[in-house]
Amino acid sequence: MARFIARRLGLICITLLVVSVVIFVITELLPGDVAAMILGKEATEESLERLREELGLNRPAHERYLSWIGDVLRGDLGDSYALKMPITDIVGRRLRHSVILAAFAFLVGVPAAVAAGIWAGMHPNTKLDRLISMTALVGISVPEFVTGLLLILLFTSTLHLLPSSSIILPGVNPLTSPQILIMPALTVTSVLFAYIMRMTRANVIEVMQADYIRTAILKGLPMKRIILRHLFPNAMLPTITVIASSFGWMLGGIIIVENVFAYPGIGQLLLRSIETHDIPLLEVVTLIIAGTYAISNLLADLSYAALDPRVRLA
Amino acid sequence: MNEKRKNETPLLEVDHLAVTFYTPHGTFNVVRDVSFTIQRGEVLALVGETGCGKSISAFAIVRYLLPFHPGESRVDGTIFFEGKDLIAMPDSELQKLRGNRIAMVYQNPGTSLNPTMRVGLQMEEVLKQHLRVESKQAHQRTVELFDSVGLAEPDRIGQRYPHQLSGGMQQRVMIAMALACDPDLLIMDEPTTGLDVTTEATILDLMVDLKQRVNAGILFVSHNLGTVARVADRVAVMYAGQTVEQGPASAIFKRSKHPYTTGLLQCVPQPPSEDETNTRLRSIPGDTYAPEEVNLQACLFAPRCPMAQEMCHTEAPEILSVGDSHQSRCFFWNNVHKGIWGELEPRDEGIRETAEPVLNANKLQRFFGQWQRKYILFGPRVRPPVRAVTDIGFEVGGGRTLGIVGESGCGKTTVARLVAGLIPRQRGDILLRTEELAPMIEERTDQQRAALRMVFQNPTTSLNPKLPARHTIVRSLQKLARLSRKDSHERAEELARAVRLEPAYLDRRPEALSGGEQQRIVLAAAFAGESDLIIADEAVASLDVSVQAQVIKLLEDHQRESGTSYIFISHDLGVVRYISDDILVLYAGHIAESGPAECVLNIPSHPYTEALLSAVPIPDPDATPTRIRLGGAVPTLRERFQGCFFAGRCPRKIGPICDNTPPPVHIGPGSPDHAIHCHIPVEELIKLQSD
Ligand code: SF4
Ligand code: SF4
Repeated sequence: MARFIARRLGLICITLLVVSVVIFVITELLPGDVAAMILGKEATEESLERLREELGLNRPAHERYLSWIGDVLRGDLGDSYALKMPITDIVGRRLRHSVILAAFAFLVGVPAAVAAGIWAGMHPNTKLDRLISMTALVGISVPEFVTGLLLILLFTSTLHLLPSSSIILPGVNPLTSPQILIMPALTVTSVLFAYIMRMTRANVIEVMQADYIRTAILKGLPMKRIILRHLFPNAMLPTITVIASSFGWMLGGIIIVENVFAYPGIGQLLLRSIETHDIPLLEVVTLIIAGTYAISNLLADLSYAALDPRVRLA
Repeated sequence: MNEKRKNETPLLEVDHLAVTFYTPHGTFNVVRDVSFTIQRGEVLALVGETGCGKSISAFAIVRYLLPFHPGESRVDGTIFFEGKDLIAMPDSELQKLRGNRIAMVYQNPGTSLNPTMRVGLQMEEVLKQHLRVESKQAHQRTVELFDSVGLAEPDRIGQRYPHQLSGGMQQRVMIAMALACDPDLLIMDEPTTGLDVTTEATILDLMVDLKQRVNAGILFVSHNLGTVARVADRVAVMYAGQTVEQGPASAIFKRSKHPYTTGLLQCVPQPPSEDETNTRLRSIPGDTYAPEEVNLQACLFAPRCPMAQEMCHTEAPEILSVGDSHQSRCFFWNNVHKGIWGELEPRDEGIRETAEPVLNANKLQRFFGQWQRKYILFGPRVRPPVRAVTDIGFEVGGGRTLGIVGESGCGKTTVARLVAGLIPRQRGDILLRTEELAPMIEERTDQQRAALRMVFQNPTTSLNPKLPARHTIVRSLQKLARLSRKDSHERAEELARAVRLEPAYLDRRPEALSGGEQQRIVLAAAFAGESDLIIADEAVASLDVSVQAQVIKLLEDHQRESGTSYIFISHDLGVVRYISDDILVLYAGHIAESGPAECVLNIPSHPYTEALLSAVPIPDPDATPTRIRLGGAVPTLRERFQGCFFAGRCPRKIGPICDNTPPPVHIGPGSPDHAIHCHIPVEELIKLQSD
């Protein structure tokens, strides 16, 4: 097992390295000049040149990349081109905001989805099942930005209950003003819930047909035990993979949601750094997102192995 | 029924049971009229072919019907268990009986155990639920029960997960679990179907042994008359959702009073009788009754019955008493005897030409996957590739049939696929007469492709579901026999008649045909090419015995008329024994024995062949079962053998030489082609096996 994890971690490192190269190359190819973007249209050629010198933009691309990656490996993420601040400071705060959003979606959305999925799977084609399934279908088909806008329309424009944007001033803890969190969190959760609920329901229906459930029933076990010991562990196996992959999906959702609600998280930062060609910042943000994705997949595989003796003891 | 029986309440009394499913696709009368009783200490076998309703009748007893058909179901008739009405019983009370007083064992033990739970725990939960015992006692009792069903290391086995056990061990666990609370009624639904024949034999031994030890009534559901003869005290035969005959096992097997039972018995290829006369297999014409048909104003067997009279088509026969606790649902039971299916014809053996072999295979080898190394590409080799076949050679004579037998994982299907060019061989060569065949089918010439046809177990894989059945045959005729459009349609109808199908069937789509009809269409297409060699890979395995016999006879007739050679692959030694001229016995990718059928099946034979032969259940309750049984574990697919491939399980193993040195090839008496791969010299084998 230890060897497996080490191997996977090694692979993740390689993946991240490749991602960083790809990002670097793409930003190099994008039109636009960093210096011009930072200093604005009125900047003189001289000042542009000085800025380029300062940022080291005059050196050839591969040299810049190598020195950047060298710094990163030494633990120094460098400064943002545009904001002229240490990246650690910028990212740290934003990351906290995004984690709050993600954690909410995950801690509320996933258990709710799994519970709803199990119930619906155990009572297929009942009225409530149809209702849950329909809602989930809508949740999946409507993209986040639409859901977000609909929520704004409802809660802000019509009911005047919540602010339409979720700007957080520096130094303010978003948890002290939960009203700005509600809409972004709901939006992110909606898709996550829908997706996981549908998969759980399908798995439960499938496992209910399995021969070993028949065995359990004809052993005379009470329903509670059949669900907890026989149905649940087996139905959760495929669901775990789904949860992991929906985690990656949720990251995508967060990027969109943060931009819709102007919520200062990592997703908004990503967009900003692309606009300004802020390579060091962009690299760090991308690597964080890619790394989270890879690690969540690894965790899914590990928990799969923990639950499934066929994998663990193969 | 005698007086004594009448007075005591039977353990289980099923009376006029009927089960109907109402689905969006229509109404299905799956069980129409089933009645039987079981006494304590008695084994009643419920036999019949696919779709006759035997399993559903069994599951109706424990009221478990939903998964068979989604939708509504309705149960009529009565089921009394120790005088209590099981149909009317409230769920909570039924739950107390299930697993406790009435326990079940199923087909497919592998999927019937929870894969994520240790088997010991799965056992203990039954004990805790019904007997309310503490963990410690439950654990102790589990060990005892595992021991009582002959599981080795009973105290350790509970720690394992189902996938760590072999199929035979899984089924023992299931049986132990069913016995946990000392049930009064044990229902076993095809408990040995799907297991290898040597494993099946050991499970049947266990059942015979249990019969003496437990005081339960056993309902044994099976389609296999051989296994039924081995364990049953009484037999109930089902056809089209009805019990058609019922009685003591010996009466059913020896003096059957229903045409269907006599027919069924004659469809099973029997070992040659004492006087060595070989008779032709017989079959029941037509197909089994469909559950959506509802005409109850007739005997349901009438369309297939050789004795049917006017009244059989207009009146439904009741169950009639025909002897001491022997009943039959036939108006004319008094006239039933073996001869109604026609006199036994001697088998036309002819003189099979061996002059020139059609196919010659040499040193075929195939492994799947690669050696895995410790660090992906480097380091020591840690995991060998999967062995399929190691070094296999054989010859198929002109107009002869080579039967290939062996249990799952022995490599028989791989051999077929290598010859057919569906997977490339890694080593070895295959000669079609004198031409070398390329490894893959795409590289072979059109003539070579036409010369070699393959028939698979599942006919649907060979038929296009969107086109009428005719299409498959016509395409073969045009492509392989190069007939014109018009000629090929005419010839297709001839072929349809040759496989006993009305030409009208050709215009149906595959889905409108039964499994047996589909397989006959596939055969007609295979015959169309006028091939030199047809490879039939488990081609009759999924068919019911009555239909299987029809297909085997077609193969036989076609061979006699056209001189086509066959490679016939099957796990069913009885069928192979019947159809083959030569036999190749495979074990774990190696040849154990090969040669002319009569030599291989007689003394002396390889210890593995001997074990296989003695494991085959014979449909005769008086047959004395041979006691050669294989212990040990089947070698894993990745295992490499230092010495003899069979050493791990061989009951005749002679010592370390078997473990260390690959066995030599001895030539048996009787034929220079009879090869036995074993260290034991031929004379010694003869002596050992004659005792
Ligand atoms: S009742 Fe008639 S058709 Fe039915 S089995 Fe007897 S003879 Fe045959
Ligand atoms: S060589 Fe030994 S182990 Fe192999 S079959 Fe012969 S006696 Fe058995």
